[in-house]
Amino acid sequence: MALLQISEPGKKSTNPKVKLAVGIDLGTTNSLISSGYLGDVEIFPDLSGQVLLPSVVQYRQDAQPIVGEKAKMEVLADPENTVISIKRLMGLSASESQNLPQFEQYTFDTSRGDESPVIITRAGRKDPIQISADILSGLLARIHTAIDEDIEGAVITVPAYFNDAQRQQTKEAAKLIGLPVLRLINEPTAAAVAYGLDSNEDGNTIVFDLGGGTFDVSLLCLKRGVFEVLATGGDTSLGGDDFDYVLSDWMSERVFDRGQATLKERGKLIAYANSVKHELTLHNSVSLSFNGWRGTFDSVEFAKICEPYIKRMINACRRVLRDASLSKEEIDNIVLVGGSTRMPIIRKAVESFFEKPPLTDIDPDKVVAMGAGLQAEVLVGNKSASDFLLLDVNPLSLGIETMGELVEKIIPRNTTIPVAKAQEFTTFKDGQTSMVIHVVQGERELVSDCRSLAKFELGGIPQMVAGAAKIRVTFQVDADGLLSVVAEELSTQKMSEIQVKPSFGLSANAVEEILSSSHQNAKLDLDLRALREAQIEAKQLIDAIKAAKEDDGDLLEESDGGRIESLVHQLSEKIPNGTSVEIREMTELLNQITSDFAASRMDRYVGQALKGEAIDEID
Amino acid sequence: MQSIKKNFFEFFGLPISFDVDVESLSEKYHELQKEFHPDASSLETEIEKMRSVQFTSFVNEAYNTLKSPIKRAEYFLTTQGFDTENVSQSELDMDLLLEQMQLREKLAELPKDDSAMPALENLKQDVKQKLLIQQSSFADDARSENYKSAKKTFHELQFLYKLLSEIEENEERRLEY
Repeated sequence: MALLQISEPGKKSTNPKVKLAVGIDLGTTNSLISSGYLGDVEIFPDLSGQVLLPSVVQYRQDAQPIVGEKAKMEVLADPENTVISIKRLMGLSASESQNLPQFEQYTFDTSRGDESPVIITRAGRKDPIQISADILSGLLARIHTAIDEDIEGAVITVPAYFNDAQRQQTKEAAKLIGLPVLRLINEPTAAAVAYGLDSNEDGNTIVFDLGGGTFDVSLLCLKRGVFEVLATGGDTSLGGDDFDYVLSDWMSERVFDRGQATLKERGKLIAYANSVKHELTLHNSVSLSFNGWRGTFDSVEFAKICEPYIKRMINACRRVLRDASLSKEEIDNIVLVGGSTRMPIIRKAVESFFEKPPLTDIDPDKVVAMGAGLQAEVLVGNKSASDFLLLDVNPLSLGIETMGELVEKIIPRNTTIPVAKAQEFTTFKDGQTSMVIHVVQGERELVSDCRSLAKFELGGIPQMVAGAAKIRVTFQVDADGLLSVVAEELSTQKMSEIQVKPSFGLSANAVEEILSSSHQNAKLDLDLRALREAQIEAKQLIDAIKAAKEDDGDLLEESDGGRIESLVHQLSEKIPNGTSVEIREMTELLNQITSDFAASRMDRYVGQALKGEAIDEID
Repeated sequence: MQSIKKNFFEFFGLPISFDVDVESLSEKYHELQKEFHPDASSLETEIEKMRSVQFTSFVNEAYNTLKSPIKRAEYFLTTQGFDTENVSQSELDMDLLLEQMQLREKLAELPKDDSAMPALENLKQDVKQKLLIQQSSFADDARSENYKSAKKTFHELQFLYKLLSEIEENEERRLEY
């Protein structure tokens, strides 16, 4: 395949109707590009036949940046101008970025705070979008040397757990070099597409994607040429690198006895651990030698020290199965993606959990780019959607803030996109004329624990008693996974609309935190939620009674005025430190004894409202 | 999207009935997606694309409603003019409420570590069994147009689903996920 493309540069397709579309795996460590322009979808190598392009960019004075293998060789000699792992900074703010230990060799512009990070190189200021754009240019050069044709568009893959900000920035990187993006697709989904189309067999596929720094797992169903993503999950703070760290810790205890290793020694030890890990994919046992210390290490020992990480991966698999309501017996294929899945201990763990050997016939480094290339063929029309169609899901729940800083989920995670969902909300105070719509992403119940996507205000709500206005909030997620929100007051049809484009996103760890803390704190959340709700209800009732007393004090006297007053007083005192049950019981009681008052008030209100209005206008 | 006036059953060309063959529903769903999904229309104008997004959103909503037995049950009752959001105590069976409470107590009494996993699994199977029974009794009620009884069964199903999701939350917490 490599020979075909490099032996005939400047080739054009024999079929004039075929358009040039590419699939791009823009990875943290390595990137790849594929195209089906010359027949079957294939990875395009560089002139020396290398398929992996290291995601490394070296910036030079008054010259084009160097991308790939050559830049990688400069990492040690020219660290501050040679950028690695830029994908980890996508969607992060400057203040989050400059504190990450693996980026300490760069000079960041420290004045940017919440804005996107800027690295100062000898070629000037560079942000993650520009650096990613340079990597994309390096990939496109491979296509341009082989094919003399304009690129119609690209499908670029992103981790399933990339949030809106990270997806937007990936798109912007392509835009910067004039590359039209046909679609962003999730990496595990792309891998499943590559396998599914290869075998063309219907069934349920688990994709187990372990990269250097992230772990994704997705469950897809292939039927009649339609790939339906049933559920996706993962752990963004778990990756192949963790195995290097845990092994270097193990060795450190033995090599340095009680003495502390220096930072430099520790770095060397991690690199050594990485090479031991690689050797263990070939041999069962390895002899170790470091700083004069000698020992042996075997795969049984390795499995033992890695057990906590493997357990987390298997739990993520369980959860995805559960979200899709499938049992592990119903899984037909297991696909392994990412170089770290070459580790025998991972393969063994996956095989013993699913009781089935994983598929390994496509190179785990290439499979994602292959799938992206296939999807690109469909999107430019080289292949028909009736041959194969991809139905993806939104990976994280979307909702809005309601009273008491609670989250009301509007679109739960793992809902097939595109999707539109509407929910009605109402005003909280009498005469309220505006409402703030705060859009959040995450699984937790409290707003402060979720990620804020956007905030906007719907004004011009006609004055009504609390709870009378009807505001319909509609969430729409398109096929790229991007969200837009519309809020509408139903009686006046006044609308307010926003496309969610946050300026920066959560760190990878933060996404993981959203998910894991969501469950650890589920009980705490529920208790707290119950209390908050009770407090709000009580306050609302008291506010309503107070307001009503001002308007219709005469009616209150007719009902049991004195008793109501004293209960209002007692309840106000209970709100700050009572339990949810206590507050709720008193609220309930107050509600009951004010029901007569409320009813006579409503009669009066309706009577007034009807005056001078034709009947057909109010219904 | 507002322009689609048909109810979900009619939309998929199905009779308004709780009995749905999920396999053939999924087949129709895939046909519609292949025809109308935004990916199938990459060359059309912006307006057509927007329409396709709205239309497939509706298709997804309709499919997800009819595919899930509990959502389908609720939707079916709504088409028959019932308000499924409100329920009074008198509509429910006392025995059922008692049984629910007992199951919940069982759940609360389980040990808080992963030694409870087998017991949780048993409880889950138990609830799933009950769900299947209630589902088929809902289907019977719906077929014989005994809607009042169907509504009661629906609320019972709601309880069971709620309980099932609580059991699953308990499992996740013990798996330290």
